[in-house]
Amino acid sequence: MSAVAEAPVAAATADARKAGDWLLVATAILLCIWVLLPIYLLIVNALSSPQEVTAFPKRFFPSFDVGSLAFFINFAGVARALWNSVLVATLTMVLSIGFGAPAGYALSRFDFPGKETFRFLVLMTRAFPLPLLALPLAVMFIRTGLDDTALGLALVHTTLALPFAVLITFSLFSGIPVELEEAAWTLGCTRLQAFRKVILPLALPGIAASAVFAFTISWNEVFAAAVLTIENRTLTAFLLQSLGESPLYLKFAGGAALVVPALIFIFAVRKYLFAMWGIANR
Amino acid sequence: MTNALKKLAGAALALSLAAGGAYAQQVLFWSTQARPVEETQKMRDQVLKGFDGPVDYQVAEDGPWLTRLQAELQAGSGTIGVLGGLHGDFSTVGANLVDLSAVDIGQAKVNEVYKKLGMLGTGEQKYLPWMQATFLMAANKQALQYLPAGVDLNKITYDQLIEWAKNIAENTGSPKLGFPAGPKGLKHRFFEGFLYPSYTGSMVTKFRSPEAETAWNKFKELWQYTNPNSTNYAFMQEPLLTGEVWIAFDHVARLADAFNQKPDDFVAFPAPAGPAGRGFMPVVAGVAIPMTSPDVDKAKALVAYMLKPETQIATLKATNFFPVIDVKLPDDMPASVKAFSVAIAAMTGAPDALPALLPMGLGDLGGKFNQIYSDSFERIVLGGEDVHGVLEEQAAALKAIIDQAKAPCWAPDKPSEGACPVE
Repeated sequence: MSAVAEAPVAAATADARKAGDWLLVATAILLCIWVLLPIYLLIVNALSSPQEVTAFPKRFFPSFDVGSLAFFINFAGVARALWNSVLVATLTMVLSIGFGAPAGYALSRFDFPGKETFRFLVLMTRAFPLPLLALPLAVMFIRTGLDDTALGLALVHTTLALPFAVLITFSLFSGIPVELEEAAWTLGCTRLQAFRKVILPLALPGIAASAVFAFTISWNEVFAAAVLTIENRTLTAFLLQSLGESPLYLKFAGGAALVVPALIFIFAVRKYLFAMWGIANR
Repeated sequence: MTNALKKLAGAALALSLAAGGAYAQQVLFWSTQARPVEETQKMRDQVLKGFDGPVDYQVAEDGPWLTRLQAELQAGSGTIGVLGGLHGDFSTVGANLVDLSAVDIGQAKVNEVYKKLGMLGTGEQKYLPWMQATFLMAANKQALQYLPAGVDLNKITYDQLIEWAKNIAENTGSPKLGFPAGPKGLKHRFFEGFLYPSYTGSMVTKFRSPEAETAWNKFKELWQYTNPNSTNYAFMQEPLLTGEVWIAFDHVARLADAFNQKPDDFVAFPAPAGPAGRGFMPVVAGVAIPMTSPDVDKAKALVAYMLKPETQIATLKATNFFPVIDVKLPDDMPASVKAFSVAIAAMTGAPDALPALLPMGLGDLGGKFNQIYSDSFERIVLGGEDVHGVLEEQAAALKAIIDQAKAPCWAPDKPSEGACPVE
């Protein structure tokens, strides 16, 4: 008797599970389209001739007309700007981890007066809009000779990236049990050795993730880059100044020129990026 | 990982320090004009190549342009050699510009009105006119079949334009008039220099007059037949090329691409006329030298070079901005220039022509001045608010700005003693 009663229930759960599966698949597909469609359109239009860009309906496969892209590559200063972008972003990455990771460690391991205020102040640096700060910054930079250098710009970008570096590494170190460190001390490690041999290997993927984050913050920043550099402009500042008012086909080509290097970079470091969501602690 | 990072950082640091210093010899031309990449490219390759010595032509948006300039002025030393910008760009920094009256421009005869404009109300030549442009109407040839009978494009009026747009909308099923009302579009110039003068013969004084109310009501009528996407448009050449829009109003440099890509598809014609005349606004760009310019003599030579007839023609080809000196144009001009020069001649030479100058003497309040017109548009046309009420409120704001700047009237308003009145 009971078997008869259970059969429809089992069927209902199976149905529900099936529906759930469908929902999952549909959501996954939707999310993929959400992310991939703009990139697809960008690439297709970047690889089309100017006439095709304004034409409708669009072709599914581009005609692989590289005229617009070639224009970009030959546009005076693009290569240099690309190099500057990489340089500034790398410097930003190194500086923000160099300053941010020790700060995050201190916040998670030590109790000191003004700790909460410090955490708050770190976040406060993001409260002032850059256009407001750019003028006094530029004046100071011109006077000190930091003006128009990659290092100067990287310092500004570091200020932007630092709060994230501090907070990410803070939660990262907090997730590693202090007992591990204490065990190392009892076995004869100094504080520094314990950090280097026990904590650092565990935290490294997370640190790398926050470094990548700093890299992208620097890569995407426009205003400071546009004001503080002239000859050594970053690619983003260099292109965005002109792209906003360029014809459509060049906008697509420029967009692709901006997005593709960032995509390649993210793809190369994706392993570390995922660590930001806690894989590091396992 | 750490070692690799250290090496990378070291290399980056060394390179970043080594990169400075190599550019001391060239003149930095810091400009808000010719920003689209193709124009920038042409400015470098075709216009500035002929100058005796290297020129670094760098463009920036208005915000960074001004911030950078102000920073150099405050710091008391700079890298910018020559400035390029619109009249309004210079008005905020006039006190810090070198007097250019002694620059030797040879035989070139510079437009006197513009030259006077370049003095920014002082006794010194703060900037020299560099190039000029204006706004025009452009239409897809497909639209011409719906043109109401008896209408001459070169003498078109606002009423005829409304009728034409209505015809198109009714016959094709969608509104096909386009207007650069997006965030980066130049809609404020249309109200300041075209709609207001055409209906009121004034830009400021008659801001809340009954004639102004008529103008706004006419524009609301026109808006019914305007593509609703217009609030996204910045450059009308794009919707013209895609066919979204058949009739459009915009700055010539923002229409040029349509004519150059498909010369046989489009016609250019003058801005329409209203009861008070055919209002239009010439746009003047100038070149100036900041006090902090590292090499003033070289910079002056570059300014003089920009005004040579050959340079002016090369600039026209590169940017679609017309010469400010008397010069005969050669025959090998791009399609856009050919189409525009005829339409511009028809507009400026029309018997009812009513030129309206860019706002003068407002200093850094220019942006707020433009905002009054954009806000009125948004409230009246997009928000559907009562025309009379909005104009009363905006007129008070306008008066406050003019009074604060103590700006006397400029054309088409009659010269005033003291601040320009808002009746």
